[in-house]
Amino acid sequence: MENNSALVVKGVDVLYGDVQALWDVSLEVKKGTIVALVGANGAGKSTLLKTISGINRASKGEILFSGKSVSHLRPQEVVDIGISHVPEGRRLFANLTVLENLKLGAYPPRARQVFAESLEKAFALFPVLKSRQNQKAGSLSGGEQQMLAIARAMMSQPTVLMLDEPSLGLSPILVRTMFDLVASLNKQGVTMLLVEQNVRQALKIADHAYVLKNGRIVMSGLGEDLLADPEVQKAYVGERWRKK
Amino acid sequence: MLQMLSFSLVIQLLINGVLFGAIYGIAAIGLSLIFGTMRIIFLAHGTLIILFAYMCYWLFTLLGIDPYLSLIIVIVIAALLGVAIYRGLFTEAAAAEDKNISLLIAIGIMFFLENLMTVWWTGNPRSITTTYTSAVVRLGGIGIPFTRFTGFIMAFLAAGVVVVFLKKTLIGTAVRAASEDIISATLMGINPHRVNGVAFALGIGLAGIAGVDMATIYPFDPFFGFVFVLKSMISLAIGGIGSVTGALLGGIILGLIESLSSFFVPGGWTDAICYAVFLIVLMWRPEGLLVRSVKKA
Amino acid sequence: MRNSGLTIIGLVIVILAFAVVPFLVDTESSFIVYFLFMAFCYITITQAWNFVAGYTGQMSMGQHAFFGLGAYTTGIIWLHNLTHTGYYFDPVTMILSGLVPVVLAILIGIPLLSRLRGDYFALGTLGMGQIIQVIFVKGGKFTGASDGLHLPSTIYSSMKPYYWTGLILAIFSTAVVYFVIRSRIGLALRAIREDETSAASRGVHVLGYKIFSLAVSAFLCGICGSLYGIYLFHINPDSVIKLDWTLYPILMCVIGGAGSVTGPIIGALFMTAVFNLADIYFVGTSPILAGILIVVVMKFMPSGLVGLTERLAFARKKKAS
Repeated sequence: MENNSALVVKGVDVLYGDVQALWDVSLEVKKGTIVALVGANGAGKSTLLKTISGINRASKGEILFSGKSVSHLRPQEVVDIGISHVPEGRRLFANLTVLENLKLGAYPPRARQVFAESLEKAFALFPVLKSRQNQKAGSLSGGEQQMLAIARAMMSQPTVLMLDEPSLGLSPILVRTMFDLVASLNKQGVTMLLVEQNVRQALKIADHAYVLKNGRIVMSGLGEDLLADPEVQKAYVGERWRKK
Repeated sequence: MLQMLSFSLVIQLLINGVLFGAIYGIAAIGLSLIFGTMRIIFLAHGTLIILFAYMCYWLFTLLGIDPYLSLIIVIVIAALLGVAIYRGLFTEAAAAEDKNISLLIAIGIMFFLENLMTVWWTGNPRSITTTYTSAVVRLGGIGIPFTRFTGFIMAFLAAGVVVVFLKKTLIGTAVRAASEDIISATLMGINPHRVNGVAFALGIGLAGIAGVDMATIYPFDPFFGFVFVLKSMISLAIGGIGSVTGALLGGIILGLIESLSSFFVPGGWTDAICYAVFLIVLMWRPEGLLVRSVKKA
Repeated sequence: MRNSGLTIIGLVIVILAFAVVPFLVDTESSFIVYFLFMAFCYITITQAWNFVAGYTGQMSMGQHAFFGLGAYTTGIIWLHNLTHTGYYFDPVTMILSGLVPVVLAILIGIPLLSRLRGDYFALGTLGMGQIIQVIFVKGGKFTGASDGLHLPSTIYSSMKPYYWTGLILAIFSTAVVYFVIRSRIGLALRAIREDETSAASRGVHVLGYKIFSLAVSAFLCGICGSLYGIYLFHINPDSVIKLDWTLYPILMCVIGGAGSVTGPIIGALFMTAVFNLADIYFVGTSPILAGILIVVVMKFMPSGLVGLTERLAFARKKKAS
C-alpha cells in the first residue's frame, strides 16, 4: 500500500448499459500533486471522475482513497470522506444565490463546523463572489460561475479536488487565470485530479499525467515529459503550440 | 342573466373562488415539492387529502375534537405517513429513469385508498357541522363563510411556513437544490433519500392541512380525491413548478376560474373547462404560465 | 420449423377448447362462461394497452375513454336505428364503434403525442378521459346524461353469442399484436420505444407511428366497449367510462408482462380469476386488491411475470456457461 497516494484507481471497468466506457483503467494520484487526465472528447475522462465520485459504478476493479476502498460509496459519502468533484458544466444551482451555493458546498457536518472560516477564505480568494453573494448563481458570467464552482467545492474541505474541464467556455485570459488558480490551490496543499481538453496548459502545471483514449490509458508519465512527447503533440496540441 | 349581475355578486363570486382556490393551492405546493425533488407525479395526493378529511371527520364525530384542534394531530400523522410512503414505496422508483413506474405506484395507492374508504365508510358524502360551520362573516355587504375564511388563512400560513423552511433552513435549501439538480446536490454531500423524505413529509403534511380545510368547507366522498388532484395539477400547471407562491397563486386562479365559470356557463361544464385549460397548459407551457424560464448554470 | 408447427397445433387446440365450452355447460348460469367472457374482454383491452404502451412505449391512460366511446356509439346507433340491421351482434355496428374512438385518438393524439412524453402524456390522456366523461354526462338526450342509455333487454336470448364474440375479440386483438409487431411497422414502433430521437434520426416518422399505435389501441378498446355495452344493456358513464377500465388492463399487462404477446393473456386470465374469487369471499374488495397489486408489482417486478421467467432463464444460461 503506497502511503503517499491520495487516490488509487486499479483496473476499473465501467459500463453504460451494454456499452463499455472504461477498460482496465488504472491511475494514481500522489498526495499534494496535480495529476492531469487528458484525451479527446468522449474518451471517458468524465466517466472516470464520475466513477470515482460515486455517480457511476465500476463493474470491475477498485478505487482506493488513502488506502481504503471507496468503490461502493454513494456520492454523498464520497464527499464526506474528502473527495470533491466539480463536474463538467459546473452544475451550479442557478436559482440559488452565490451564498446559498457556498453554504451547500459546506454541507458535510465537518465542513459545516468551519463554515464561517472557509467562507472568509473563499471571499478572500474570490472578491467578486463576495460582492455578488446575494445574486442568483445563474446571473453570473462564465468566469465568475467557474470561480463559484471551485469555491463551492473547496467549502467541503476536500483532500482531493477533481475538476472536470474547468477551462471549458472561458476566454483565453480567464483560462490562464483558471490554471494559475489550480496551481495556487495545489500549493496550499490540495491534491488535484484535473481533466482537461486544453492539453498544453494542463500538462504544464501537472506533476504527473495520463492520456486516455477510447476508454483506455495509453500513456502516462511526468507532465513535462508528456508535453515534450511528439505523439502527444501531434494528437492533442495545436500547431501553434508545438515545440520543434 | 347579465341584468341580475350586481357588483356585490361579482365580488362574492371572486371571493368564493379565491377562498376555495387556496385549498387547491396548498395541495399544489405539496405536489410541487414531491415533483420537484423526485420528478414523481403523485396522483394519490387528492385521495390522501380525502383520507385526512375523514380523519378530521371521525375525530370530530367520534371523539368530539374540534376540527381546528385536530389539525395538529392530523398534520403530525400526515407528515409521518408521508415519510412512510416514501421509504416504503418510492425509494427505488424515485431513482429509476422510467417515471411511469412511480406514476403507476401512485395510481395504485389512490385506487387502493379510495376503494378501501368506500368499503369502510361507504361512498356517502360527509361534511362536518359544528356551531360555526354555517357562520358567515359580513364585510360591507359581502358574506364570507367563516370556515372558508379560516381555511384561507390556514393555507396562507402554511405556505408561509413552507417558504421560510425552504429559504432559511439548511435542509430546506438542500431541498431546493435537489429540485434543481439532484446529481449536483449529491456531489455536495446531500443524501437524496433525506431530501426526498423531507419533501414527502412536507407535501403530505400540507395534504393534512388541506384535508382539515376540506372537511370543514365542502362535502367530500372517497372518489373526490382523483378529481381534486387533477385540479391541483392544473393549479400547478398555471402557477409553475418550483415556486411555492406560484403554486398557491395557481390554485387561487383556478378557484376563480371555477367560481366564475360555474356562474356564467351554466350546466356543469366547469369541469370540462378546467380540464381543457389543463391540457392546453400541459401542451404549451408545462413549466407553468407564471414562471419565467429557468436558467441553467 | 417443427417447433412452430407444434405451436400452431397447440394454439388451435386451445382455441377450440375455449370455443366448445358453451356446449358443455349451461351458459346462463355457468360461472366459467361468465368468467371467460370477462377474461376475453380484459384480454382485448389489455392487448390494446400492450400495443401502445408495451410495444410503442407510450403510456396511455385513456383506454376507458375509448372503451366508453365504443359502448356509447353502439348504444346510440342502436337506439336511433342507424344501421337498420336490428340485431345486436352486427359487425357494422361494432366496427363503427371501433372507428369513433379512432377518430378521438387521432384528434387528441396529434397535439398530445407531438408535445408530451412519458408521464406527462399519461397525465394528458387522463385529462382527456375526464373531458370525455363530462361530455357524456352533459350530452342531454343524445347520451342520456348521467342515467345513460338503455337498450331493450328483451332481445337477449342467450349468453352464447356474447361468449363467442368475446373469444373472437380476444383472438383478434392478440393476432393484431402478434402480426403487426413482427412486421416492419412493429420494428418502427419498438425503435420508438427504445429511443425516440435515434429512431427519428434514422428516418422513422415518429409522430405518425405513435398516432397509428394509439389509433389501433383505441379501435380495440372501442369494439370491446361495443360488446360490453350490449352485454350490460345500460350504458352510463359510471359503468363504462370509469378508470377501472384503464387501470385493470394496465395491471394485467404489467403482471403478465408488457411488451410480450402472451403476457396480457396470462395477466388477464390470472387477474380476472383473482378478482372474481376476491369478490365472492369479500364483496367489493377487487379494486382494493387491484390497487395493492399494482403497487407491489411496480415496486418489485416492474417487468412482470414474463420478464421474471426471462430473467430466470437468462440467469440459468449464465450459470451454465
